[in-house]
Amino acid sequence: MFEPCRDVVCSFWSYLNQGPMTLTIFLHTLIVLPMIWIYFDEKKRLERGDIPNE
Amino acid sequence: MQGNKLYQSQELAIKYFTVAIILFGAQLLFGLVAAIQYLYPDFLFNTLDFSIARMLHINALVVWLLYAMIGAVYWLLPDEAGIEVVGIKLANIAFYILTAAVAVVVLVYLFVQVGPGKESTIWFITEGREYIEAPRWADIGIVAVVLVFLYNVYATVMRGRQTGILTVLMADLIALAGLYLAGMFYTDNIAVDQYWWWWVVHLWVEATWEVYVAAVGGYILIKTLNANRKVVEMWLWIEVAMMFGSGILGLGHHYFWIGTPEYWWEIGALFSALEPVPLIGLFVHVLYDWGKERGKGNEIKNVPAFAWLTVETFGNFLGAGVWGFMHTLPQINLYTHGTQWPAAHGHLAFYGAYVAIMISAMYIAVQGKAGLERLKMTKAGWWAISLISVGVLLMTVSLTVAAYTQTMVERGMHGATWEGYFAAQSNMWFLQGIGWRLVTGLAVIVGYGFLVYDLITCPKHQPVEEGETAAAAA
Amino acid sequence: MAQKVSVWTSNRFWRRSATWITGVASVLLILLTFDSMAQMKMGTAEDIAKKIDKRIPSPLVINYTIEYKLDPYRGHEIPIIGGEMQRKEGGIKSAYEKKEKFFGRDDYTEEEARALIHKGKLTIQAKNCMDCHTLLGNGAYYAPDLTKAWLDPTWETLAPAFNGKEYAMAAFLQDPPKMAMHERKMPNLGITEEEAKAVVAYLKFMSAIDTNGFPRNFGKIKGAVDARK
Repeated sequence: MFEPCRDVVCSFWSYLNQGPMTLTIFLHTLIVLPMIWIYFDEKKRLERGDIPNE
Repeated sequence: MQGNKLYQSQELAIKYFTVAIILFGAQLLFGLVAAIQYLYPDFLFNTLDFSIARMLHINALVVWLLYAMIGAVYWLLPDEAGIEVVGIKLANIAFYILTAAVAVVVLVYLFVQVGPGKESTIWFITEGREYIEAPRWADIGIVAVVLVFLYNVYATVMRGRQTGILTVLMADLIALAGLYLAGMFYTDNIAVDQYWWWWVVHLWVEATWEVYVAAVGGYILIKTLNANRKVVEMWLWIEVAMMFGSGILGLGHHYFWIGTPEYWWEIGALFSALEPVPLIGLFVHVLYDWGKERGKGNEIKNVPAFAWLTVETFGNFLGAGVWGFMHTLPQINLYTHGTQWPAAHGHLAFYGAYVAIMISAMYIAVQGKAGLERLKMTKAGWWAISLISVGVLLMTVSLTVAAYTQTMVERGMHGATWEGYFAAQSNMWFLQGIGWRLVTGLAVIVGYGFLVYDLITCPKHQPVEEGETAAAAA
Repeated sequence: MAQKVSVWTSNRFWRRSATWITGVASVLLILLTFDSMAQMKMGTAEDIAKKIDKRIPSPLVINYTIEYKLDPYRGHEIPIIGGEMQRKEGGIKSAYEKKEKFFGRDDYTEEEARALIHKGKLTIQAKNCMDCHTLLGNGAYYAPDLTKAWLDPTWETLAPAFNGKEYAMAAFLQDPPKMAMHERKMPNLGITEEEAKAVVAYLKFMSAIDTNGFPRNFGKIKGAVDARK
């Protein structure tokens, strides 16, 4: 199931690099996913109306 | 025409713009020499060799863009913050020091050219690293001047109004300045050398400069269209998110073949593939605002600035976005890396992303200095924007034809050797592409002539519309 | 009762997102840089003695033969230093055994080799090589790529007349117009004999850097079909 790393030196990042897209999808998820939390947090605050209109 | 009271900072901005436009001319001149040498290799051989002409071509580009960028900040800073720039005397002194240093560096480039293989050459003549050849002493000087600039910006914003545009600029400028330090050391390890070199080059042009452009573009939209500040700033934050989100790790597309680990293939390919997205956003945003304001019957307050801003968004998307994406995937880049492909991409990208918006900012300053309510497009201004834009676009197409040929013949058919290189360089298609590049370059130079003329004279030569003549006659 | 709100048009939401995204991307880049820097450290004499492959090998490689061969295991061409041997996992790797005279010697010490490539790199920067040539594919496009210049078949054809290709390359560097091979000549940059030798050493060292298979098929295709010039 897992591809062996074939680089000169294998590190954490090379093991995540499991053929097409795995590493990059992992990094993108890490970056984008928490925006969902930011979204709901902002929504809560806006609904409470405790944000001054900018 | 009434005179207009400017902030001292805006007077300084005009000085920066003036030096910028002169260096722009130098860039075109040395580019012309290099373009001629591609066709006639004996042209100025041993006097101004290709390496020197090309170095001056790209260094003039970087330096004039930085001048114009600093100028634009000094222009908009008091306007946005609502107060005179703090430490304006220091800022003026820094301008003269920087300009004197640039003059010395250029003279050394021109007349000393190269040095012996010693540390002293790196310190006093050239560092020999594409784009950041400036010798070490000049590096340190640049850092000092930039520190003064950052002090001006930060101190002013602290005391004045803190708008979203200024917040983005403050964060962006400190990153921009800090990154320069990554290019200021020497190492025998060429792979490590290029690794950090790309931190400066890529994280400037594909991250911090792009965000700078988004911020200044927002300011120009407010100035020319009276666009809603809240909407402009929302777009600005979206663009910052997307530009840094894709651009920072998009750095990986320079780490495919320089002795870096293989995992960069994936990181570079996918992150940089997303780099065009914010550029589409910028484009849509400007056109959307334009349509909306026209719908309300509002007139554009500075037509040339707005026209150049439109060229910027379109050119940025096409040059940086489309032309960049064309060769950013490692499977393709294996064959296009180190050919005319990056040259084709670079010409349209630098023009679209940066040159156009800096010219737009200059027109804002021209309008502000003349104190005109509205600035209309003159005939000369129209010729300038048309000749330069069409010229650069066709230049890019010509270089792309040459690039295809080089990739096919040198890389595909001959396996990238010395013999293969020259087989490609003497191929008919390649030579025609390079020939058309020279022709289109001449068009750009003529356009530059119109541009300089127009920047100086356009407030005096404003076209008079029919209604106005009738009113004057009555 | 919550009022109807629009988060997507809230400046605050985008500002927080932009800050978060920029921050995480920067941290990731820094972590990746630490990992890459560790992998890109220049090798040592010990690595060569233990046959440990390094992306950027020890400058001592100038004592060995260098080839550029397809490794089925890695899936692309890799530099083969001092002859090839079988990889445990399949494919081939460098054996670090087969020596080759470089300017008459194959016993450069690590110190000597380092001093040579130090001088070579300084000269490469001082003479602005990158503003005509590309090195590792970066630079200007007015002259051939130098990444694997040491392995270029052209030098093999000139080698006999100079008693070795390193002598041919050094002679060329000291007076390029005299040995011009194309109408587009390299100018005379005042490269001294010492500097020329150092630059050739650097080129040999650079050809041993593992560039993940760039350039593809280097020197493999000879006399390719290009009838319609």
